[in-house]
Amino acid sequence: MKPATLLAPAHPAEAASPVPATRQFTRAELALAVELAARTVPPLWPLDGAIAVNPLSGFETEPFGKAVRLAAETFRARPWLPLALWRRLLTDGAVEEAALRTAATAWLGGPDAAAANVAAGVSRLDLLMARLLHLPEDPAPQPVTDPAALLVADACAAYFSRPVVAFGSAAATGGLFALARALVTEQMPRARRADTATCPAQPLDAIGWALGREGAADANPQTRLARCVARLPGWAGHIRWRTEQADPDMAAEAPADMADLIAALLFADAVLGAPEAAPMRHDPAATVRQLAQHLGLDAPLPDTVEEIVALDPAALSLLFMQAAEDSFTTPLLARLSAAQTSAGRSDAHVPDAQLVFCIDVRSEPMRRAVEAQGAYQTVGYAGFFGLMIAVAEPGQRRQRQLPVLVSPQHDLALLPARGCEGEAERLRTRRHRRAAALTLFDRLKAGSATAYATAETVGAAAGAWMALRTAAPLLARRLLRRQGDPHALMPSLDPHGSCTGLTPDERLAYARGFIALTGIRPQSRLVVLTGHAGEAVNNPYASALDCGACAGHGGAPNARVLAAIFNEPAIRAALDIPEQCWFLGAEHNTTTDEIRLFDTHLAPASHHGDIAALSASLVEAGAGVRAARATRLHRPADDLARGAAHWAEVRPEWGLTGNAAFIVAPRSLTRSVDLGGAAFLHDYDWRGDASGEALATILTAPMVVAQWINCQYLFSTADNEVLGAGDKTVHNPVGGFGVLRGNGGDLAIGLPRQSLFHDDGTPAHVPRRLTTIVEAPVEHVRAVVEGQDVLRRLFGNGWVHLVILDPITGQQHRWPSVPLS
Amino acid sequence: MNDNPTLSSMKKIEVVVHAADHRLIESALAEAGIAGWTMIRDVAGMGHSGFHQGRTIFSDETGLVMFVGVGPSERVRQAADTLRGFFASHAGVLFLSDVEVMRSDYFRAD
Repeated sequence: MKPATLLAPAHPAEAASPVPATRQFTRAELALAVELAARTVPPLWPLDGAIAVNPLSGFETEPFGKAVRLAAETFRARPWLPLALWRRLLTDGAVEEAALRTAATAWLGGPDAAAANVAAGVSRLDLLMARLLHLPEDPAPQPVTDPAALLVADACAAYFSRPVVAFGSAAATGGLFALARALVTEQMPRARRADTATCPAQPLDAIGWALGREGAADANPQTRLARCVARLPGWAGHIRWRTEQADPDMAAEAPADMADLIAALLFADAVLGAPEAAPMRHDPAATVRQLAQHLGLDAPLPDTVEEIVALDPAALSLLFMQAAEDSFTTPLLARLSAAQTSAGRSDAHVPDAQLVFCIDVRSEPMRRAVEAQGAYQTVGYAGFFGLMIAVAEPGQRRQRQLPVLVSPQHDLALLPARGCEGEAERLRTRRHRRAAALTLFDRLKAGSATAYATAETVGAAAGAWMALRTAAPLLARRLLRRQGDPHALMPSLDPHGSCTGLTPDERLAYARGFIALTGIRPQSRLVVLTGHAGEAVNNPYASALDCGACAGHGGAPNARVLAAIFNEPAIRAALDIPEQCWFLGAEHNTTTDEIRLFDTHLAPASHHGDIAALSASLVEAGAGVRAARATRLHRPADDLARGAAHWAEVRPEWGLTGNAAFIVAPRSLTRSVDLGGAAFLHDYDWRGDASGEALATILTAPMVVAQWINCQYLFSTADNEVLGAGDKTVHNPVGGFGVLRGNGGDLAIGLPRQSLFHDDGTPAHVPRRLTTIVEAPVEHVRAVVEGQDVLRRLFGNGWVHLVILDPITGQQHRWPSVPLS
Repeated sequence: MNDNPTLSSMKKIEVVVHAADHRLIESALAEAGIAGWTMIRDVAGMGHSGFHQGRTIFSDETGLVMFVGVGPSERVRQAADTLRGFFASHAGVLFLSDVEVMRSDYFRAD
């Protein structure tokens, strides 16, 4: 490795003393500052495996209340729901006024302080409630126009979609910064170009040059660099994904790092000028006037109400959020407490079938419905079933099937499943044919001579297909399915080509790990491992409906692999699996609520009757769940399949809308409670986890993934334009990795408006922080939380509430966190 | 003092940080021109905020990691200086010490 070239020599003595304002940064200092600034945004995963992330993850080291204000300034966003929408949710009953009064009273310092009068018959609480419920909200600042960022965004779109841009840019060969610089320079009058000609070509050097020119060579350039990153969170997130998460061959297609993006923005600012931020202004004098008018007060308000008058929009919104959280958790905890002490929590009988579902909130209503159908036991576990795998069709790119917090350990080849060889062959042939047709279409469309004739050539066929998809989407769906069943392929446990498969020892370790982490005791005639996937067409966000634990893909491959492992005689012998137990992989379609059982033809004939009975129960259970879900979607139940197939459907399902709790306990604690599809459920029995390792695993991986989901839904709802993806109807996919709104600008982050709001603009998702509930002795949980930095941070800074239900004392304990405002 | 002509004096840098921060340390070492380093994953230990447990099985971002690098004094000092900015806002420890190494060309990046 070459030694770094220094822009200026680093002298230890100088570093130890206060930094002179004129000094230049070394490349190493700038490289570190760029890496730190990059963390302002989370990585943005591409559309084929969209992962929910917390858009404010860069602020998780701060308490929640402080973080949203910092993020507001950095992103020019409003990471809290406007009062008008909270008031609407209050009217709709999603937030209780009593809970709001409680939150307001606590903020004022308790009942006595809240009841203190500020005028005749008017208490401090009256003033605060008036601000919360009636007074006009501070006007939002005008959105900032940022032409420099728009230009750099155009450069990013051209650079990263190079493989699909027919006329590649010559400048692109010099890297992202070179391309952006060329684009920006074109905007300058020729006479002025000499001004920026001295800017170095190397991105870090260019950053140093720009900071020096701005006179911003303060001791810490990080704030300036972080603000650059925050101006294009989509492209910056895409770069983080490329450099930190993508497989090397994918990253190499368009190499770029955050220094390129920052250098490009600083260079553009040097040419076009940096945008001026418009801070949110709160006018206390106006608030005083409004309060006096609203409450009919003649005398001026005393100084003691200053703190109520000074409350900013964030503080008011966060009080509502606390009330929304309490409205949900208080009755839930009361019901769980009652269930905890009730008798009959253990099942004496062997269930007819044991079904393991993903922890996803959409599993909960299905589990409840399945349990209602008969003697069925359901268990919650992360839907990748603990398998650290990626899968790949021979000659194709691999697809990760595990949480993005870990890297795959094994590559499994997707090969024809046993007994599905004919179907697999048909699938392959039709796929090749389709791929060839698409390639031809792309060439026709991109070719300079053929482009004009493309519409005439393929227009009629495309028009007919559009008409069919519009008028008869279910027929179009059936025709598409005749292209072949993708599940005719399944991951092979054996080595194939460059795929390693799983050794006998690895298979045993996975089976053992699954039993240890779920606490399940296989005993029924059928044990069903159920992954899940959504179903949607013409929907760039389709993978957001898939399994987060499987890196935004369907969970069927993992379910089938683990079932196959458990059906191997050697594994059964090693783990004393009862002879009558047969394992099946399955997938829950969360858009239509159908559950498909895989590889049933491989089951022994003795189990065919059990499978038929279970299938009938699953159909019944699915119908019940579908009916309930259809009500929430305001449409008939039989319309959901049509929604899954219709290419103009903007809301095939509500996804994880409404998520609010993560419960770590045996199912017996929650079985009698209707959680309304709002809870992630992970089975856990502390009595089998003396070391706390299983709990640490659950809280640091599945719960962290749930927190990302929760924060994505929360902030996408709060500010759908900046922290969410905005209106779906103007989305324009680019390069297969993201969507633009219209024809330019930043890549959209977060979730689209239609995934979170009803058509009338009322939020379908109530922004609440996740409440994690663990049933275990307090000391057991404390030891785990205190040993893991991420848990101390999330719970201590109030990003996630932690409530411990101590089964020994019967007491509930809340983990202390920094107050919100 | 170095009495053995086959050994050369160099500096050793040891850094222990949260696993989630490992890229930042790699970047600082590389930019300072340190030729190579050892990274020990899944490190646990006692610190200012209590005992830090090791890595959990489904997250590469839990637990601590330790870097051990050796190089010419000026390079190692530069790496340490660069990391001052990191430790201003992040948890972790950094130690420098004098070491003697065989085959000193292994530890020079140029």
